[in-house]
Amino acid sequence: MYEEIIFPGKRENEQIILFLRRHWFIFLIRIFFILISIAGLVIIYVLINSLSENFRESAFYNLLIFGESLATLFIWNFFFILWLDYYLDAWIVTNERIINIEQRGFFMRNVSELKLTKVQDVTSEIIGVIPTLLDYGNIYVQTAGEKERFTFYQIPNPNYVKNTIVQLQEKERVAEERELGEIIRGKNR
Amino acid sequence: MPLVSLLYPLVIIIYLLIGVAIVFHMLRYKINQRVAFVMFVIYIAGSLILLVSNFSLFSAVNWNQIFSAVSF
Repeated sequence: MYEEIIFPGKRENEQIILFLRRHWFIFLIRIFFILISIAGLVIIYVLINSLSENFRESAFYNLLIFGESLATLFIWNFFFILWLDYYLDAWIVTNERIINIEQRGFFMRNVSELKLTKVQDVTSEIIGVIPTLLDYGNIYVQTAGEKERFTFYQIPNPNYVKNTIVQLQEKERVAEERELGEIIRGKNR
Repeated sequence: MPLVSLLYPLVIIIYLLIGVAIVFHMLRYKINQRVAFVMFVIYIAGSLILLVSNFSLFSAVNWNQIFSAVSF
């Protein structure tokens, strides 16, 4: 299912269980600014055209069209900046660890990881009317011996994700205990 | 007119620099190869169309007439 996913430091037998991004509604809110900009360009065009009947014949008409085209160029770039900001933020849960990839603007990228065995406590949180209706929210993963929390922001189905992480953590803990037991038994023989 | 012919390339250079940064992030930090490729093609195609049309619109503007109309 997640064969095409590439992330830094992927191990050979590592299996991706969950691949998460912010909820699509968050991207839609950002796109709203693009729509406002496009609407602004259309309004300016209509307004200026309605001011004078002969405006289309004047040299200023070409200037208006050129200005609108230049603005469209930058709106195009702005759309892709917003898309990159959405696309490059991701949380990956594998059978061994949790990877947090965070991109802020062009010059700040943060990739952090957390072993499932280090997970101590997982909390999901849905606050607000729209998040409740669309079922998205935050997840806080508390680690042993660390003050800082690992946070998943505005992800879809937070309760399901929380339960999956807890189950994986339990499985990983049991496997580690079994491994440790085998080592101890091996030493005693 | 000389002012415009200096400013316009500057604006386009700024646009292209932002474009280079977008393409770099799109391809360097890709999470899904196919999505990154599709978005790269869309971005390049759209940018080319917009740039060519913008340049032709810039050439279509009668700058001398505009400057003579706005100068006092």
